[in-house]
Amino acid sequence: MSKRVWNPPVTPTKGDTTTAWRSVGEKEGSESFRNHLDREFPAGDTLTEDEQKLSRRSFTMLMGASSALAGIGLVACRRPETYIVPYKRAPEWIIPGTPLYYASTRPRAGGAIPLVVTTHEGRPTKLEPNPDHPDSSGTCAQTQASILDLYSPSRSQKILKGEKQATQSELKEALQGLDLTKTALVFGEDDSPTRNRLAQGLAGKGATIISYEAVSGEPLQKGISDVVDFSKATRILSLDCDFLGVDPIGNSKEFSKKRQGGNGDYTQGVDDVDGSKMNRLYQVETQFSLTGGMADHRLRVAPSRVAVIAGEIARGFGVGSFEASEDDKRALFQGAKDPVIEFNSWIEECVADLKSVAAGGLVLAGSRQTKEVKQIAAALNKQLGSAAIKAVKTDLGQYSSLIELSAKLEAGTVTNVVFLTPSNPVFDADSFAEVLAKAEVSIHWGLRLDATAWACDWHIPSAHYLESWGDARSESGVVSLIQPMIMPLYGGISELDLLHVLGGGDFAKGEFFPAMGEVKTTFAEITGKSDDESWRDALTDGFAEGTSYQDGELSVTAPEIKASATPTPDSLEIVFATDASLLDGRFIDNAWLQEAPDPVTKLTWDNAAQVSPVTAKDLGIYDQVIALEPKTSVAGIEAKVSDRYETGEGEGNHSPMIIVNVNGRELKVPVLIAYGHADNAITLPVGYGQAADDGREGSHALESAKRTVGDVGLNAGFNAYHLRTSETAYFAVGGKVKTTKEKYPMALTQEHNSMYGRALAREVSTMPVKGKGDFEEQKKMVKKQGMDSHAPPNISLYKPEGSETWSKTELAKKTHLADEVHQWGMAIDLNTCTGCNACLVACQAENNIPVVGKTQVAMGREMHWIRMDRYFASQENPVDEHGHVNKSEENPAWITQNPESIPQPVSCVHCEMAPCETVCPVNATVHTEEGLNAMAYNRCIGTRYCANNCPYKARRFNFFDYNKRNPLIKGNLYKGPFGEKQVGEAPHLQRNPNVTVRMRGVMEKCTYCVQRLESAKIKQKQQQKVNTLAAGKKSYDVAVNRIKDLRITTDSVKTACQDACPCSAISFGNLLENNSRVVRAKGNDMDSVRIIQGEDYKPVPGSPRNYDLLQYINTRPRTSYLARVKNPNDKMPDAKYLGQATINIH
Amino acid sequence: MANFFPRWTNLLPLKIAVCLGALGASVVAGITYYATPKAQRVGYQPTQPIHFDHNLHVSQLGMDCRYCHSFVEHSGHANVPTANTCWNCHEHVKKGSPKLAALRDAMGVDEFHSTIMDEDGTPVEGKPIEWVRVHKAPDYVYFNHSAHLNRGISCKSCHGEVNKMEKVYHAETHSMGWCLECHRAPEKHLRPLEEVYNLNYDPEIYLQENEVIDTEGLIVEKGKRIEDPEDFGLFLRKHWGVQPKESCATCHR
Repeated sequence: MSKRVWNPPVTPTKGDTTTAWRSVGEKEGSESFRNHLDREFPAGDTLTEDEQKLSRRSFTMLMGASSALAGIGLVACRRPETYIVPYKRAPEWIIPGTPLYYASTRPRAGGAIPLVVTTHEGRPTKLEPNPDHPDSSGTCAQTQASILDLYSPSRSQKILKGEKQATQSELKEALQGLDLTKTALVFGEDDSPTRNRLAQGLAGKGATIISYEAVSGEPLQKGISDVVDFSKATRILSLDCDFLGVDPIGNSKEFSKKRQGGNGDYTQGVDDVDGSKMNRLYQVETQFSLTGGMADHRLRVAPSRVAVIAGEIARGFGVGSFEASEDDKRALFQGAKDPVIEFNSWIEECVADLKSVAAGGLVLAGSRQTKEVKQIAAALNKQLGSAAIKAVKTDLGQYSSLIELSAKLEAGTVTNVVFLTPSNPVFDADSFAEVLAKAEVSIHWGLRLDATAWACDWHIPSAHYLESWGDARSESGVVSLIQPMIMPLYGGISELDLLHVLGGGDFAKGEFFPAMGEVKTTFAEITGKSDDESWRDALTDGFAEGTSYQDGELSVTAPEIKASATPTPDSLEIVFATDASLLDGRFIDNAWLQEAPDPVTKLTWDNAAQVSPVTAKDLGIYDQVIALEPKTSVAGIEAKVSDRYETGEGEGNHSPMIIVNVNGRELKVPVLIAYGHADNAITLPVGYGQAADDGREGSHALESAKRTVGDVGLNAGFNAYHLRTSETAYFAVGGKVKTTKEKYPMALTQEHNSMYGRALAREVSTMPVKGKGDFEEQKKMVKKQGMDSHAPPNISLYKPEGSETWSKTELAKKTHLADEVHQWGMAIDLNTCTGCNACLVACQAENNIPVVGKTQVAMGREMHWIRMDRYFASQENPVDEHGHVNKSEENPAWITQNPESIPQPVSCVHCEMAPCETVCPVNATVHTEEGLNAMAYNRCIGTRYCANNCPYKARRFNFFDYNKRNPLIKGNLYKGPFGEKQVGEAPHLQRNPNVTVRMRGVMEKCTYCVQRLESAKIKQKQQQKVNTLAAGKKSYDVAVNRIKDLRITTDSVKTACQDACPCSAISFGNLLENNSRVVRAKGNDMDSVRIIQGEDYKPVPGSPRNYDLLQYINTRPRTSYLARVKNPNDKMPDAKYLGQATINIH
Repeated sequence: MANFFPRWTNLLPLKIAVCLGALGASVVAGITYYATPKAQRVGYQPTQPIHFDHNLHVSQLGMDCRYCHSFVEHSGHANVPTANTCWNCHEHVKKGSPKLAALRDAMGVDEFHSTIMDEDGTPVEGKPIEWVRVHKAPDYVYFNHSAHLNRGISCKSCHGEVNKMEKVYHAETHSMGWCLECHRAPEKHLRPLEEVYNLNYDPEIYLQENEVIDTEGLIVEKGKRIEDPEDFGLFLRKHWGVQPKESCATCHR
């Protein structure tokens, strides 16, 4: 081919033809050139037509000019400037980068929760329990999530009159213009001394004061409450009282301690669970509750039958003469050879057991149950002389009920209503909206613009309790102070400030809040101390020392139980249950609680009708009955194939819908099969269905001009309040069910309910088990349950530590997993864990874990680092004397239909031989010297091999940017940058600055709260300086002993989950310290500890109940579990079936 | 066709390979030379709203670092002083100086140091000073000052001789490799706790003026005096049990 000849145009060397860049460089300074450029910048109208058609030459000239001018001269590519903006006047105590902790309280009906609030630069970011408070018992899931309500973008921010914004002075005029003699004030059911005092003052001026919450029951006697001391209760009979869950009474920590036989701290040398000192719980309830899961003997009955059982028990004590009908007895013990005998035996033995402990017995009645049941409980406690319960006087007797208010509104004696209750009466009280319309002036004060807010004339945005001054009484009556952490973000007004204005005062001005003065006055009244020092001490502690309720007298009357019809499939009982996440619906806009799975059904973002398998079959909802553990053929081992119902799995999970008809009304809801649920009863959790825009029937329709929910609460569930009347506040009878052909998508986090033949959540029994020995023997063999019973000893494919292969240098050999100061480990005690989700939400709050929305949860992409697994276990077949399961026989229905429920929280267990670490292609997950499996987010490229390899499935992947994009709008995440962004900047204020906020494409998991560990260790480094100063010598003369000086105080650092747990189930700490709680609980007989401590070291064995999850695959996890202990009464008819959930698995 | 490709294409693969190789090499060289922290960060000397002169305040006036950067031993952040810290002196010193205009803006006063009032008679809100940040680690790095300062690492090791800087500049690269260098050999930067804030510390002079005896024989013979700065570093490391962690979670969490 011919060679190419280049004939370029000749470029003269003189300066006439200059390139664009050079002209800019030369002329940047000149005035005329800058003017020339100004004209040429595309402001649009300054360009001529020719100029608007940008030629390539002028384009490059422009770009060159603008970049040059930006930096005066050809600037290098420096990063853009960032700024540090310190305070003008530094506020006292704030150290940027370190949190400040203040004591406060969260008001709650049934007992306020004492808190320590973590604040970063003035913003509260996390809530912890206040350990100094006498009534402190961890924090429930709602308390942990309440901090999100402070920053919620759907929070109400303006004073509204009609639907227009109003000013504070207009509001003051309206409030003070009210005729108090015709005004009613509706408060919540929580006890606040200052509110009581101010309300009394207003009542003295003629106002009617009401207290109302949607799911609180009527007290037996006005002004008298019960205080329960679980440390004194050895035998507890709970008549539909979910005291560990939604019906809190008594201190859960005390209950847990008693569950351990009084030894809640795993004190060395003492048998860790003394079977003879353990408490025993008999639970009578409808649907599975957390307390029912903890119970030793459980009877599942429809709600009206609770009175029947109560009556029978009472008769055993000589109180009343009620006898259950034969129908009832047969219904409750289906499949038994002689149901009547079994029933009678159950009752008799329960009575005998209670009587045998006399003062140690305790009978609790659910707060929403009927009066008769409560009267029986009171009478029985009196008979027993129970030391565990006492009646106290409260100031709550001065409040009337909502029913009385309705009557007064109808009569016209009350024309003005002010709502200060956290509940939503227009939504949750039957036909209250019509009655409210009769009022002349209605004022709503609340955190959200809910249905009641829109129905009222005025709406006042409330200050969150973290922004308010106030006080509250905890369970036993300790006056706990509420102090604000931050000025109201949106100009909210606190309750006491509002009452102050109603009483004739002024609103808050600047930083002066009259509410504080009111609280101080009450404080002085109650404690008798009006000096500043006592007040400040009380604020520092968070409570007034020495205060409590005064003893009261509960008059016990003989109850009259009337016979009532047993429910049948044609006449079902519908229970309007308090939802475990939303309670009565007040948390519908709280994303964390919506995404937290219901502890028993594992349902997120919705509610559903819970039906027992037998009833489902009777109602024709499914063709086949659903067995708990579908038996299939595994490796040729026997199979009795049982069908699974077809609702689909994961994102395809669509539950059938039914129409529930009761009280003359209908509701279309999806159905969930609920194991352990009473037959012929349906549970409908309330609080959902507040607004929907997808046309569903069971919910209020969304009114865009009057939104009652934000994005979070939209299209969430179905409104059970629609079926509820004031007479049937807890349950209704005579319900009917119609099946439909419709289906509804459900997002369940756990769809498989059994352990599928692996001993995951292990259990032993204080009663001897056939073929397995007595309690002591069973405890010793916990480590050998399941696969571990016949798995060969673990041999590692990896070379042992300290070998040349692992580490080349001496130092490296010594430092891998070999920090001699700290080695972290954790033990989770299944004996005390109730499965309440407090740890789940606490972890979410501490570690900036995002919310992913319903669609993603259905796909299994929920981001909770710690998940709450819940297993059902029942003995399907009888076991012979040698412990062999006789598969040809089946146990009676009343046993198989009443399984046990065992929760097990699982997070990353920090394996010493982690399968995830070896497969990361970029080494983003590594092991620290202290035993943590660490995650470097910036290195992760999102291969997801680690999650694939993790046998515990503890890793979570950020499939989308959940923080920037709004996951709550359908399909929005898949639109990427074209989708909508998250609403509101405020949720970012809650984020913990010490934890990275992860973006799309990064794997995350539990870190053992490494930020807390590092903070603690870094703080401890100051010890060197302390020692040097104390010694008075030069620092080079003062030695530092790493173990004595740099090791943090035993048990001083707590992970978020450990701190939040109301039952102290989680122990975390340093495995090298023999006196730490975690070592007492699980022992430190591990290779890694032995290598560090040396050859002479004698490890602590720890509790015999300790076992590693999936121990046989040799991952050597640092988090281990302690088996659950059931304490059955060997005389009870179901005793021989209990406590054997995993013992026969092999 | 007989010869489909012209003859000059015989050398083409070689030419392409050489060009790509050269391109790759130049990209790598360019990045190494221009785009690493060594090139990008060292020498960064932005103009601040107030031309704060460390040399004047520290070397000449003798102020301790912690007077302004008060929480450096207690917190992860070494705080830049708040305006009221500067005001402690400058309420009276250099009154009305045009260089301190931004400080007066922050305190809400005019050049005669009388409070500026706005229309309704309330004092005007000051405007906080926007200092330009010189040293910034990426967001995924969690560096804690107190951990280092409480254990004998001086400001100078990472920030250079700030006491002599008339205008603060970025003296060291602060790359991860640079951090690991010290973590792997802390003896090169350890100094007695009393000397941490003394940026004029010279280990040679220090060892001449102070008698440091190795009482346990950790580095030199038992009872002998330490005279070599290298030995001193190793001695302090052993004596204080300094074992800086190298696993990722130390800084990346």
